[in-house]
Amino acid sequence: MGILNMKRMLLLLAFIAPVVVCAEPSSQIAWTPELLNLVKKGNADKGKELAESCKSCHGDKGQGMKEETRDGETLPAIPALAGQVATYTYKQLRDYFNGSRSHVQMTGVAKGLTEQDAADLAVWFGSLPHAENKSGSEKLTRAEKMVEQGDGKRILPPCFVCHGSKGQGEKQDIPALAGQQAHYFTRTLLEYKNGQRHNDVYSRMRLIAQQLSEEEIKELALYYQQLK
Amino acid sequence: MQTEPSKQKYEQCLRDFVTQVRAIHIDQLERKWITISLLVVGLFVGIITIDAFFHGVNPPSKVETIDSASLHLNKEFAEDNLGVQVDATGAIIIRMVAGRYSFFPKHIDVPAETPLTFRWVSMDVLHGVHIPMTNMSTMIVPGYVAEITTTFPKPGEYPLLCNEFCGLGHNHMWSNISVIAKEDWKAPVKPSVKGGSNNE
Amino acid sequence: MNDAATRKLILSNFWVAFIAFIVACFMGEYQVLERSGFIPALDSPSVYFASVSTHGVLMAFVLTTFFIMGFGYTIATTTLKQPIWNKPLAWGGFWVTLVGVVLAAIPLLTGKASVLYTFYPPMVAPAVFYIGATLLVVGSWVWCAIMLVMFVQWKKANPGQPVPLAMFATAMNALLWLWTSAGVALEVLFQLIPFSLGWIDTIDPGLSRTLFAWTLHPIVYFWLIPAYIAFYVFVPKQAGGFLFSDEMARLAFIVLAVFALPIGFHHLYMDPEQAKGWKLLHGIGTFVVALPTLVTGFTVIASLEIAGRLRGGKGLFGWILSLPWTNTMVLSVILSLLMLIFGGFGGIVNASYAMNAMIHNTAWVPGHFHLIFAGTTVIMYFAIAYYLWPMLVKKPLFSSPMALIQLWTWFIGMSILTTPWHVLGLLGEPRRISSVVYNNLLTLAWKPYEFMMILGGLVLLGSACLFIYILAKTQLNPAAEAYEESIEFAEPIHADESLPEWLNDFKLWNKVIAVLMAISFGYPILQFFFMDTSGSSPWGF
Repeated sequence: MGILNMKRMLLLLAFIAPVVVCAEPSSQIAWTPELLNLVKKGNADKGKELAESCKSCHGDKGQGMKEETRDGETLPAIPALAGQVATYTYKQLRDYFNGSRSHVQMTGVAKGLTEQDAADLAVWFGSLPHAENKSGSEKLTRAEKMVEQGDGKRILPPCFVCHGSKGQGEKQDIPALAGQQAHYFTRTLLEYKNGQRHNDVYSRMRLIAQQLSEEEIKELALYYQQLK
Repeated sequence: MQTEPSKQKYEQCLRDFVTQVRAIHIDQLERKWITISLLVVGLFVGIITIDAFFHGVNPPSKVETIDSASLHLNKEFAEDNLGVQVDATGAIIIRMVAGRYSFFPKHIDVPAETPLTFRWVSMDVLHGVHIPMTNMSTMIVPGYVAEITTTFPKPGEYPLLCNEFCGLGHNHMWSNISVIAKEDWKAPVKPSVKGGSNNE
Repeated sequence: MNDAATRKLILSNFWVAFIAFIVACFMGEYQVLERSGFIPALDSPSVYFASVSTHGVLMAFVLTTFFIMGFGYTIATTTLKQPIWNKPLAWGGFWVTLVGVVLAAIPLLTGKASVLYTFYPPMVAPAVFYIGATLLVVGSWVWCAIMLVMFVQWKKANPGQPVPLAMFATAMNALLWLWTSAGVALEVLFQLIPFSLGWIDTIDPGLSRTLFAWTLHPIVYFWLIPAYIAFYVFVPKQAGGFLFSDEMARLAFIVLAVFALPIGFHHLYMDPEQAKGWKLLHGIGTFVVALPTLVTGFTVIASLEIAGRLRGGKGLFGWILSLPWTNTMVLSVILSLLMLIFGGFGGIVNASYAMNAMIHNTAWVPGHFHLIFAGTTVIMYFAIAYYLWPMLVKKPLFSSPMALIQLWTWFIGMSILTTPWHVLGLLGEPRRISSVVYNNLLTLAWKPYEFMMILGGLVLLGSACLFIYILAKTQLNPAAEAYEESIEFAEPIHADESLPEWLNDFKLWNKVIAVLMAISFGYPILQFFFMDTSGSSPWGF
């Protein structure tokens, strides 16, 4: 029933392990009770202050930015952070810090943040309402089917059983998808599919993304972007 | 000595008890039925006990704890250490992680007619795993390693199904195992893993 | 039972039980329809698991507890010929239990507590669900206290007299329930409620499962004992005969209660948190507890044979046909015993230690407990209700032929429902799945059995509705003339002249239970406090 020293020892081992073992774990973040508490107790006011510098890319309401083409150059979509599950946001910042995930700008940003900063930011963004996007006119029946029923033939569970019936995310660190920028969503699943993104523990999302076609991914992206 | 009177009292109590038991009227037919019942139950218990002690026929019962919150940081259940391995003594050990909603690795190859030791852990909630119509069945309780040793007599493709309610995706939680004829199965070579790249 | 206030208390308990029952029956049929996949529009894991959780709580905790309380008050007042001790307390207990049900029902029905009637953590529901469950159990302890107080008071007023068999068994059942519910009470009070409120960060699911296993087996005997009481004290009289042996009946109840308790680990055979030595010990105890059921079978069938032969039955089996098959109590016991044979056989398989691996957590398990509980036990609840209702509402039973049809259809429906269910388990279908989506040829073998189960469920649903209809009509019909039948208890062939104290009292057996529980659960529970365990944080579903 108690929380014991074994866990601390294991975490220590985990930091030493990369030196000893051939391969790095996909993420250094493990949801021990201590870490869950750290994130839960994040200071939203402090997070709001820190988040001022996020606005230029992630939007003034944390809604992210659409993919844009300017002067022949495509500026990739930037993810919405508003209403994101706090543990997920924390994990991504720490994964950038530890090198489990890399991005030309975010790695530098994350390296300038402490664990407490990351927790504060995570709680602040989690408190914001989800971005709400207009529904398009496309028919999204295939996406709906995938979200609600999955596909037994490819051993794909319905998206909602992990990501929530309203795309709101779930414990411990399953991200909210509702209101997410469609192009970012597409890019993310394609990166899981080709292994470029690999901070999902035990390859959970990689194994799923590998089974999805690009068309399915695009349709799912639209579905979740307009989910309220 | 003070124990003498209480010892005597105890013995007297026991004697009274036995006399009273003998005095209960039990019909002849009922006596016969009770004897038959005792014999049948005794037979079942005897078979089970003998099998347990002399043939090692027991359910999976190794009590071993582990921290389920940091499995991927644990040396034994690190992502590149899962699946089928042959240890130094030649024994086949299979390390599997159960987590919503799959068993990792999703597909493994094992030899038929060979003792296989499965070590199961959960990264989140309660799961159960059963290969239908075999005795590869165990609960997977977070905080514990479930170890079970079994042998598959027949080659073939089998599913591993999760059989304990673990959330709304429970009925989608399953993976596959190929049991390959003993002579055709090759022990896996430990892959040289690049940081973070993913195989099954 | 001439006191209107007492009848009101008893009827209130019975109606809560049966309303919970009929609601849960509709859920049951929905579940088997949804799972079969034949109606794709129904497919929804969220609704399915909310239904399963609610169905389980209503059938396993509400139907049973309230029925047993109502039946206990009936037995206590009629056999001891005394009013209920402290009626306000009895009503208090009733309301606490009912409030508990409502508190638990709200999150259950809104899909927020889909953690099943077994609560298995570390999945967690809102705290109000566990608090409701706690109140349900605590309210029933009030009933236990009243039963035991009345038992003790009667014994003081009638020194040396044998306690009437029905009351002896009822009081034994109350004692059994106190011992039984302690396990889940510990789990809920010290683990689940603090966990769901966030007062503790982690719990050890191994300890939770062990504590729940403490309750999980003896609770079914808590449910079963009222059926056995009816076997012993109503059936022989209704059949027109005598009880074969009063002492053996008492002995059966005692061995049943004593050995029902220390055997919970046959629910944990496949669990990694208990060692095989303890599992084997519990397994052997589980076989021992089969003995009083075998003895009960003998005594009841022997009593029926006496009745059959008194009615002119001849030959080795001819007496069976000369029994009054049109008496609802007699028909029920015959159908109940038939289901007990197969349900008991399934139970022996479940108890068989390593062999449990073949059926653990497969569809065999719900097949088994529907046959043995919803079949054997609940059909006797129907029989008791049919017998007592006229005396409680002071009106004749609405229709005896209809009651007979209802009993037959319950039996037939249960046979059609549970037989394929057992087969599905042998074919490897897991339990607690909301649909069959495995991409494997094996699942094709399952489809015809799922279809049969839908039919069985429909028959049962019709039967359940008929049961409620008969009770409601009996109660609501205008009274033609004053109904003056009173309850009749079976007489044993050999009246007890002198009964040893240990067949008339629980002092010895309480000690035996304490010792057996200490041996069977002492170390297995204490180990958790000495092992290096890492607890689990709360998870959603």
